[in-house]
Amino acid sequence: MNVLGAVVAKDLKLAWRNRSGWLSAAAFSTIAVLTYSFAFDLATGDVRPLLPGVIWTTFLFAGVFAAGQSFQDEVDDGTFDALMFSPVGATSVFAGKLVANLIALLIIEFSQLILATILFDVALLTPELLGIVLIGTIGYVSLTTLLATMGGHVRGRSVLLPVLSLPLLIPLLIGAVRATGASLGLEAGTGPWMLLLMVFAVWATLAAVLLFPTAAEQ
Amino acid sequence: MTALLERVYAWRWSVLPPITGVAMMAMIVGALVAAPREIIEGEVQRLMYLHVPAAIIMYVAFFFTAFASVMLLWKRDIRWDAAARASAIVGVFLCGIVLVTGAIWGKPIWGVYWSWDARLTSTLILFLIYCAYLLARSVAGPLDEQAARYAAIFAIIGVADIPIIQMSVRWWRTLHPQPIVFRPDPALPNEMLVVLLIGFVAVLSLATWLISLQTDTERAAQRVSALRAEFDHREIA
Repeated sequence: MNVLGAVVAKDLKLAWRNRSGWLSAAAFSTIAVLTYSFAFDLATGDVRPLLPGVIWTTFLFAGVFAAGQSFQDEVDDGTFDALMFSPVGATSVFAGKLVANLIALLIIEFSQLILATILFDVALLTPELLGIVLIGTIGYVSLTTLLATMGGHVRGRSVLLPVLSLPLLIPLLIGAVRATGASLGLEAGTGPWMLLLMVFAVWATLAAVLLFPTAAEQ
Repeated sequence: MTALLERVYAWRWSVLPPITGVAMMAMIVGALVAAPREIIEGEVQRLMYLHVPAAIIMYVAFFFTAFASVMLLWKRDIRWDAAARASAIVGVFLCGIVLVTGAIWGKPIWGVYWSWDARLTSTLILFLIYCAYLLARSVAGPLDEQAARYAAIFAIIGVADIPIIQMSVRWWRTLHPQPIVFRPDPALPNEMLVVLLIGFVAVLSLATWLISLQTDTERAAQRVSALRAEFDHREIA
């Protein structure tokens, strides 16, 4: 546990030092929400039917964009190999990165929910919705963090990552959008969609934790 | 065991092309001439003899890609990468056939080429996932072990994602005809069932042949790559 705590602290420190990447993700999601509001004219009429889709596509794009840079600094500085040779173990290295990414993304998402609440006058900061956002984020962060191990030398990497991860994330997107819709009172019962989100989160985290040591080998 | 497999594999050139040719001809004749005309759907129903086998063999190809990917990660033998890639290419090709024949059938029957039905949607997602796999693998050379491993991991996740995709889109919506063959009392007349079985043999042997051809091609590309690397190395030395 101490080891994991140390790795998480290291990754959070790293995320803070390289905050430009995370700030660009936050700026990107703000711009995306604003672009959607102009494109769909969300300022007029009942925006609630469109809101779940707008929120989750923004989260996914920002998340894939941000988590994609996960191991970039380590690979660029050559510290990734050192980390893998250290006695902490590959799983802890991955868990640390995962928790750091999760915290950073949750902060971005929380700020976007506040922004959307102000812009669209819909109460989005309910405990139920925050739970949906938390579980959905765990699901997609595990997969994108795993896929981010793709070699830094690959050309067009930043375009390739969304192309790789988004098809895999479609079940999560469907579940998250429907659960959010149900939570906003657009349809009945969040239950089955929450179940789908949980299944996806558990599956994605397990798959990522099991496959990371293989993916990280040089 | 390996020796036996290699001997069976060595026969591919003498066994697969004739079986594929005969079965394909039989399927075409059976589907267009021998099988009776379906009363409600009419001639367009004949697409089923290609559509259903292609859909099932597509899954077999994708599962084989995942199997070969597991073997690659386990045995560290780059030859499995060639097999995985070849199988994915054929799977994507069959998936394309399934989507196109489905759309042609859908227009007169449903009135639209495409509908966001559960099975159509999950097939489309699979198509995207395996196109992405091929893209992920193609960014690096045939002998790049890291890229091969990365693609293998992606292929395994892709196959493991299939049940969740099915579950999510089934809850999302369903319009596709329910299975009429794979159930205890098949609701298909015997003549149609026979043609469909011939269709299975035809598509399976075609897919096997194409996968073995493509595997040979990928292996050749790996060898060329190795030779080139060796040549460059000698030139520098």
